[in-house]
Amino acid sequence: MNSAPLLRLTKITKSFGAVRALKGVSFELNSGEVHALLGENGAGKSTLIKVITGAHKPDGGILEIAGSQVSDLTPTRARELGIACIYQQPALFPELSVAENIGLRLECGATFGCVKWKKLHANALRLLKQIGADIDPDTPVHSLSMPQQQLVEIACALGSGAKTVIMDEPTASLTRTEQELLFGVVHTLKTSGVGIVYISHRLEEIFALADRVTVLRDGESISTQAVRGAEGSALISETDLIALMVGRPVSALYPLKAKVTGKPVLELCAVGCEESGVKEVSLTVHAGEILGLAGLVGAGRTELARIIFGITPADSGTLAINGAPVRVLSPRHAVELGIGYVPEDRRRHGLIMQMPIDQNMTMAVHPKLFPNSLLNIRAETALGVHFIEKLGIKASGPDALGGSLSGGNQQKVSLARWLATKPSLLILDEPTQGVDVGAKSEIHRLIRDLANEGMGVLLISSDLPEVLGLSDRIAVMRGGRLVETLDSTQATATSVMSAALRSA
Amino acid sequence: MKRYSRELTVAIALSALLVLLAIFAPHFFQPQPLLARLTAQVPVLVLTIGMAVVIISRQIDISVGSQFGVCAVVAGLMSAAGAPLGFALLTATLTGTAMGALNGFLVAWLGLPSIVVSLATMVTWAEVLRLFQQGRFINLPPRVQWFGFSQLVGQASLLFFALGLLGAMAYFLKNRTGGRHFYAVGSDSEAARLAGINPRGVTMLAFVLMGTLTGIAAFCNMVQSPQVDPKCGVGLEMKAIAAAVVGGVAVTGGRGGLWGAFFGLLLLATINPALTYMHVDAYWEKAIQGLVILLAVIADGLRTKRSAA
Amino acid sequence: MNASPAPTKRHWLRHETLLLLVLFAETTYFFYFARNFGTADNIRNIVRHSAEMGLLALAMMPVILTGGIDLSVGSLMGLCAVIFGVLTHDWHWSTLQAVAATLVAGMLAGGFNAALIAFLRLPPLIVTLGTFSLYRGLAEATTQGTKIYRSFDSDFLNLGDQHFFALPIQAWIFAFGALFFWVLVHRTTLGRSFRAIGFSPEGALYAGIPVGHRTALPYMLAGLTAAIAALLFTARLHQARADAGTGYELAAITAVVLGGTSIFGGIGSVHGTLIGIAAIAVLNNGIARVPGVLKAGVGGELASMLTGALLLIALAAPILTRFITRRRAT
Repeated sequence: MNSAPLLRLTKITKSFGAVRALKGVSFELNSGEVHALLGENGAGKSTLIKVITGAHKPDGGILEIAGSQVSDLTPTRARELGIACIYQQPALFPELSVAENIGLRLECGATFGCVKWKKLHANALRLLKQIGADIDPDTPVHSLSMPQQQLVEIACALGSGAKTVIMDEPTASLTRTEQELLFGVVHTLKTSGVGIVYISHRLEEIFALADRVTVLRDGESISTQAVRGAEGSALISETDLIALMVGRPVSALYPLKAKVTGKPVLELCAVGCEESGVKEVSLTVHAGEILGLAGLVGAGRTELARIIFGITPADSGTLAINGAPVRVLSPRHAVELGIGYVPEDRRRHGLIMQMPIDQNMTMAVHPKLFPNSLLNIRAETALGVHFIEKLGIKASGPDALGGSLSGGNQQKVSLARWLATKPSLLILDEPTQGVDVGAKSEIHRLIRDLANEGMGVLLISSDLPEVLGLSDRIAVMRGGRLVETLDSTQATATSVMSAALRSA
Repeated sequence: MKRYSRELTVAIALSALLVLLAIFAPHFFQPQPLLARLTAQVPVLVLTIGMAVVIISRQIDISVGSQFGVCAVVAGLMSAAGAPLGFALLTATLTGTAMGALNGFLVAWLGLPSIVVSLATMVTWAEVLRLFQQGRFINLPPRVQWFGFSQLVGQASLLFFALGLLGAMAYFLKNRTGGRHFYAVGSDSEAARLAGINPRGVTMLAFVLMGTLTGIAAFCNMVQSPQVDPKCGVGLEMKAIAAAVVGGVAVTGGRGGLWGAFFGLLLLATINPALTYMHVDAYWEKAIQGLVILLAVIADGLRTKRSAA
Repeated sequence: MNASPAPTKRHWLRHETLLLLVLFAETTYFFYFARNFGTADNIRNIVRHSAEMGLLALAMMPVILTGGIDLSVGSLMGLCAVIFGVLTHDWHWSTLQAVAATLVAGMLAGGFNAALIAFLRLPPLIVTLGTFSLYRGLAEATTQGTKIYRSFDSDFLNLGDQHFFALPIQAWIFAFGALFFWVLVHRTTLGRSFRAIGFSPEGALYAGIPVGHRTALPYMLAGLTAAIAALLFTARLHQARADAGTGYELAAITAVVLGGTSIFGGIGSVHGTLIGIAAIAVLNNGIARVPGVLKAGVGGELASMLTGALLLIALAAPILTRFITRRRAT
């Protein structure tokens, strides 16, 4: 048997413009091994995965697959070389059956090739049974749950003879039973010689499944080590792992915190939404306060924001704005109530790329700025100029199109839109994601100023130093629930990360 | 069985309608007129087969009626000029294929929305036809009608042909990789591309197939009467679309089958004579057709909402 | 479906200028080669005959701007004409009452489209294809395909025949419509939201725009406009017919797309649509007067054919130009 590792990355670097996503990462995967990849959001995990699957070409370093060096890896070539990736969002055909989906993925026969339904069915059944999934191959994919669809994807990977399987947060939305099922699948794959790169934030899983674990931080591979010793004893503890993930000093260069805060601007009491998985969240944001909302991807923070903002209204619990209980029915309603939301997905929700930035900025304030529904171009341009100056937006003018700006400047436009509404509560969802260092501290200063002027701010961020540096209080979410609330004087990176990661 | 709930509903509705007719208007079932009515539906059935494929691929083609007229006139002129029937069939089919290819090129390669493209070609072909033919009927030599055989033989051949074509196409769509590609592209063309299918090629094929079938359908129409009416194609696209949509072929693509479309066609084709026999105005046909399309689309919309929740 | 690319100033300028050139070219051609084209009488004719189509095009523009389409406007014209005929002739309502009721009917029909499209979120294409059949069908069923209502109040007929300060009354109504839609699309927050929805319905939602309501409005206006067009048509022909407006939806869509409105939504202008309307109106009128065509009597067919061809060219042009510029860049 070939003793060369399935995968070996040596000092891989990758930058996107000024952002250095990977600064010399080394990673290795052996046959029959589960190698866990651990790191905060933004540590470089997804970039690393994209390099392995051929979606990104590394700027430097060596990539070896099954012992031989590969340059110019493309997704097709990666698939041929036996690399498969199971994403959280399966790319299946909703209208077609499971058997057909698997069949289409695994082979693309000639046009008049016979579709042997029996064979397709048997093949799908075999693969599904192999991974222990109890799914009828004839069911149309749209009626399967997300975890079930994931299992179908795994069956596809198995069927395509993949030797390296990457699982990206596979248990994020699974029940206990489904998790057990997945662990079984992982075991089966292991024994058949498949190597698995396992990305998860659930430390208990890593301890249960992984043979080795690599911690990424700020684009570097900080540490790689075995999880268990020869007798099965643990070689590393949860605390150690957390320390490795977090281990950098929190910058002292954050603006001073609030001394006094005012009346509650937002009060949530046992708020939940079945559809989005948020369960019984209770929190309060006061005027003049910045409440940081920490947690890992999938913890439900954006979902909570969407509930407050009226995109997916709550179906349980109560919500009060400025003391008055309300049901927020739509974003329009939210704006009327004095809530603003700077969304995470800039391209789809934050801006309309094809429209000029001043028009983007005024979009949420039409009733106030244009009281009789008639546009006032002069007022609009003036507003555009005002915010361009105030936020330091680099654009050719207020009529520059959204799509022509850099990411950081687009974020500022998105922010300007909501500042224009003068909200009582401003929800910021990853406000400095993809923004360069200089602009970052500008935005931090701005957020603090807003709070000092009396605004209540709910800051959703995966940037730990940012959360620690800016927030007056920190709420941590995990699995759709609020698990802990810390005062900023008590909170440390470790305590926040533990709350976000710890087994419930 | 749940997968075929729409087809079942249509089949049940059809049966119910037939039962009503059997009770209240039994002369509906007189063999001669019934056979004639069925045979008259053959061209529409052929069109519906093509239309179902187009809609499954998440496109639409409303120019089919005009194409039908052009092909019919081409076939008619050929026959009137003395060409053998086979030749007339060939020219009609090729004309249809060419028109289908034009639609396909504009939609698949230029990426233009099929509704507007087919709207434009619909009017262009209709007007070209009007310009050229000026509404004049074309008299056909006697050897054309019923292929020169007796009416019974002619009708039987057409029916066998239509059902055979239906069966073959239904088989192809279900059991051949090429057929499944239409479903894949209609369901999610990007995922199809990633799975190695060529969405442009598949879309082009759908329109070319539609055009070809239109030519064949026009020929089937020609051999049923001693004349060709250049207006014979008017409104046929709506009939084909209605049949397909009622029969479960969703406009959102990737769903439905030919047998459903077939039952949809039978249902719609029975409503009209049923109305006549029950002394309701035949002029209600268009309105009912529109209503039926709307009901089918609403049902589709509600079904999607339910399964997504 | 694809989303509209970002508009560039240059793109817009190019499109409008090209269209004006086309308009200029055909007007000049017809002026010299067509019989009696340039007379004052004929110009008044052009205006009178194209007012209805023009109004439909104006109403179609915001629909397409939001990324939708309405194929039922022509059929609705027929239905409204029939409703008007029935109310005045069979139910003996006064002209004023009948006009008001017809307008309401148009709005309700438009509202029906709006309900299915904006609130049930069904695809506009198939919904309006269904109502295209339904509305025309109702009109034909009511008139049994043959009945035409003929005698009307002279007050009403004046709408079709008379002039007001030397311009036909249709011209004033059309001008009012043009002004209304221009203000709506270019000067109100409603128009701004139509654009936003056309570019990105999700993006518009997250910006606090009431997407459901704003999507519904263009369809309701289209319904109302179809009713107005039906009344004008009836007044002009002195007949209320079920086949009123046949084929007008094509001309309307062509005028809108010719005028620079992107079929995918977001980009477009009312002034461009006006030029598009003019181009088609001039074409329809002029082509019938070219001597060869006049003799053969095929003006109508040729005009429709060219309209269809024009639509294809107008649709393909932005894609081809983008393709060429991209080629040049590489």
